[in-house]
Amino acid sequence: MAASVRLLTAVPICDGHDSAISTINLEFIHHGMEVVYLGYHRSARDIVRAAIQEGVDAIGISSYNAGHIEFFAEVVALLKKRKAADIGVFGGGGGTITKADAAIMQRKGVDRIFFAGTPMEEMIRFVRQAYGKRQRRGVRLPRFAARKAKVAAPCIGITGPGGAGKTTLIDELVLRWLKTQPNARIAILSHDPSIVGKGALLGDRATMIYSQDDRVFMRSLATRGRAGGLSPETAPWVRAMKQGEFDVVFVETVGIGQEAMPFRAKWVDKSIFVMSADYGSQLQLQKIAMLDVADMVVVNKGDLAGALTAVAEVGRRIERGRNGQRVIATVAKRHRDPGVDRLFEELRS
Amino acid sequence: MSALARVCDSLEAQARFVEEQIHRARDEPKFRAGLLKRWKAIRASIATVKTPTGLALPSLALPTSTDPGEIARYLFGEGFPGEFPFVNSIYREMYLPAAGGRTPEEPTRLFAGLGLAEDTNERFHYLTKHQRSIRLSTAFDGPTLYGLDSDADGVFGKIGEGGVAIDTVEDMERLYDRFSLGDERLSVSMTINGPAPILLAMYVAAARRRFGAKAVGKLRGTVQADILKEVQAQNEIIFPLEASLRFLADMVAHTTEHLPRWYPISISGYHIGEAGATPVQQAAYTLSNGFTYVELFRQHGLAVDRFGPRLSFFLDCGLDIEYVALARVCRKLWAIGMRDVFGAGEAAQRFKLHTQTSGRSLIALGFKNNLTRTAIELFLAYLNSTNSCHSNSADEPFTTPSEEYVRLAANAQSILLEETGLFRHTMNLFTGSPGMRILEEALEKAILEEFRTIDRLGGVLAATEQRYQRSQIQGAAHLYEQQTGDGTRPMIGLNRYPNSTESFLEPKVLRTPRSRKQLQADRLRKFKHRHRQKSGRALDELTRVVESGGNVFTELLKTVECCSLGQITGRLFDVVGRFRPSV
Repeated sequence: MAASVRLLTAVPICDGHDSAISTINLEFIHHGMEVVYLGYHRSARDIVRAAIQEGVDAIGISSYNAGHIEFFAEVVALLKKRKAADIGVFGGGGGTITKADAAIMQRKGVDRIFFAGTPMEEMIRFVRQAYGKRQRRGVRLPRFAARKAKVAAPCIGITGPGGAGKTTLIDELVLRWLKTQPNARIAILSHDPSIVGKGALLGDRATMIYSQDDRVFMRSLATRGRAGGLSPETAPWVRAMKQGEFDVVFVETVGIGQEAMPFRAKWVDKSIFVMSADYGSQLQLQKIAMLDVADMVVVNKGDLAGALTAVAEVGRRIERGRNGQRVIATVAKRHRDPGVDRLFEELRS
Repeated sequence: MSALARVCDSLEAQARFVEEQIHRARDEPKFRAGLLKRWKAIRASIATVKTPTGLALPSLALPTSTDPGEIARYLFGEGFPGEFPFVNSIYREMYLPAAGGRTPEEPTRLFAGLGLAEDTNERFHYLTKHQRSIRLSTAFDGPTLYGLDSDADGVFGKIGEGGVAIDTVEDMERLYDRFSLGDERLSVSMTINGPAPILLAMYVAAARRRFGAKAVGKLRGTVQADILKEVQAQNEIIFPLEASLRFLADMVAHTTEHLPRWYPISISGYHIGEAGATPVQQAAYTLSNGFTYVELFRQHGLAVDRFGPRLSFFLDCGLDIEYVALARVCRKLWAIGMRDVFGAGEAAQRFKLHTQTSGRSLIALGFKNNLTRTAIELFLAYLNSTNSCHSNSADEPFTTPSEEYVRLAANAQSILLEETGLFRHTMNLFTGSPGMRILEEALEKAILEEFRTIDRLGGVLAATEQRYQRSQIQGAAHLYEQQTGDGTRPMIGLNRYPNSTESFLEPKVLRTPRSRKQLQADRLRKFKHRHRQKSGRALDELTRVVESGGNVFTELLKTVECCSLGQITGRLFDVVGRFRPSV
């Protein structure tokens, strides 16, 4: 079932006030909407790029640090410039946006500004009415000018338990791709769980700071009741991305536990199982079925106490399984981590 | 055992020690005799003052009980003002004239920042026109807080909004123009965190340019530079935590050596409180962050008695009952932890406190009621013997404060301290009541529980990474919203008596004109152009120092001479990466 409304929310550049938007995000989800949350301190370019890539119905901006007239206007103008003026724009900012400001902003193309004290129900009603019945586009990728002949891009599937650092790891890999290959284009298909009977918070973009780039195309999908860490929409997106003139495609599942590999073999060229160094006992390790089938195993959080033991244990566990699997230890949160460098080299070759 | 666990143990040991002294005072004649002799001498040393109406009063209110146990409880448990564990105050005289009759420095600190450097400069001169001692507190605009230049992509609308725009050392010179940097009576506070070392380097360089190298050693003031609370609450961190902490430690190493009167960090509960934390959470996170910095600086080879006296704190003061005694408890916990866990001497045991009244307690609706709210919070702040204080302007919920309301907020402090007799004649007039004691005990117990929880999570850094403090603060904020919504937390004019206040008038809002913003962007471009030959080399040198493990702050003092804020952060992003938020 498709969500009633799909939104992108963010806090403007040079503004860290994310408390209101965090609360509002939860309300939206509670009312069945899918919310792609971009985080705080985000430029108009980042917001518009993400909104278009994510195919949202509207953008919600929470602005507390002034400069809102210019900022909202910049978002509206950029949408128009990118031929995406059908994406709505609304927002608020506690007491910092005056009625006079709001009038100017609405004249410049903002659909609605909410003032302090607006009941949540009123905001939900507005969003449903204004954006609820839109025709949503299907799979659509950007077209790049003057690209080489079509070759299917290699697809890397990344899975593992929640909190292992999959998102950070992908972002660090993207940074290396962007830096070392000035023409590289990257696609990311990310998944987050839908809450039963409700919407979904798609929050990976807020953490993926380096992936907010014109050379990166990212789409966040909600599982919408599908088990196994992927979405009913996954298949068409993977197909399109592989044929979409990218140099590499990353597919990240939601955090999943010990079950079998979620990827279909024909989709991914390489599968990576990411786990944290603090997985618990050796017995736990024996139960992880994905260790037998992943092409590579990344033991992340190598800075934790006991990480060395963890890498050794995982190595032994894998030796008993299939041949040719590799174990790499990383500290993805560390800038220029040599482990991530090694992983990058492996993937590129 | 983690430092925080040791702090908890030392607090419990201290409580046992106090109980023991109470018993000895009651049961051991020799001990009692010594104690009573000391008590008599203390009582005799208290001067008598006369109020304007002619009433004679002691200049310090001491407990009136003659029970030796109660006297021991006071002397060992609370401490005479200026004595361990400093519950009453960190100095013997707070707002009273000292023995020699010297008038104390005014504790009023006035926060300002708007438009370009010269606009804020003008505001500073206006605010300090009548002040004996000049204490400036600087707010920066969004781009500066995030280490971006005014000509960065997409920030134009934010230039000079909500604070002053600073891009270069030249802006810094303009900001404090016609103030005598290095003067004994001047102190400058800067509310800056992520890029704090760069801004302080600009300030030092500006002082050196204007007043020569000799002025540098005399500079007084503080930068906030509290990175941990940024991750936990305020989101103004720009580099990864590890790199941020290293830059901070380098700055602290440099200032303790070369700017002996500077406070290089202001460990802040204010933003934790404003983000929604309960007073107990605010105190627990602030103190535990403080202990974490002490551990960190010691790991960097700094001696606790060198940097310890240069740490200062910044707390929120709202209308909840906890604020009657919150800072009193903080002073005690800090002193005990510093003495017993880190072996610090007296100077480093003193919890130097700046307080600001709560911005969150103010509302736009019927905003003149905010004058009353702030006045009550001010009273609570001084009741807690704060060392300096900022009072919010009533118009703050919707605009950069206008001159009128800034003036009224400052006047409120003068009225409280100079007009009323509350803090002018007798020190500790309100302390020692049964209610205050009950409150202190309850607060201490609750804060200790928080310490234990953080310790169980692996200490402050581990808990921060697990987003513990952050999610606790969010939970408290959510509850607060709920309570204002359903009226269990009454707010006059908002959820109670809404018609009894004036209807909401569209207030006058201060904005920075487009032409001023353009001026800032233009002169930044000129600065960059003028220094284009040198800036690349300076940034390479900075990179080398970061990578070789040298003192980054010392190098920044050179870098800022020819590089802008954004050029420096841009290079540092390449070298150490960017902060990655977690959702």
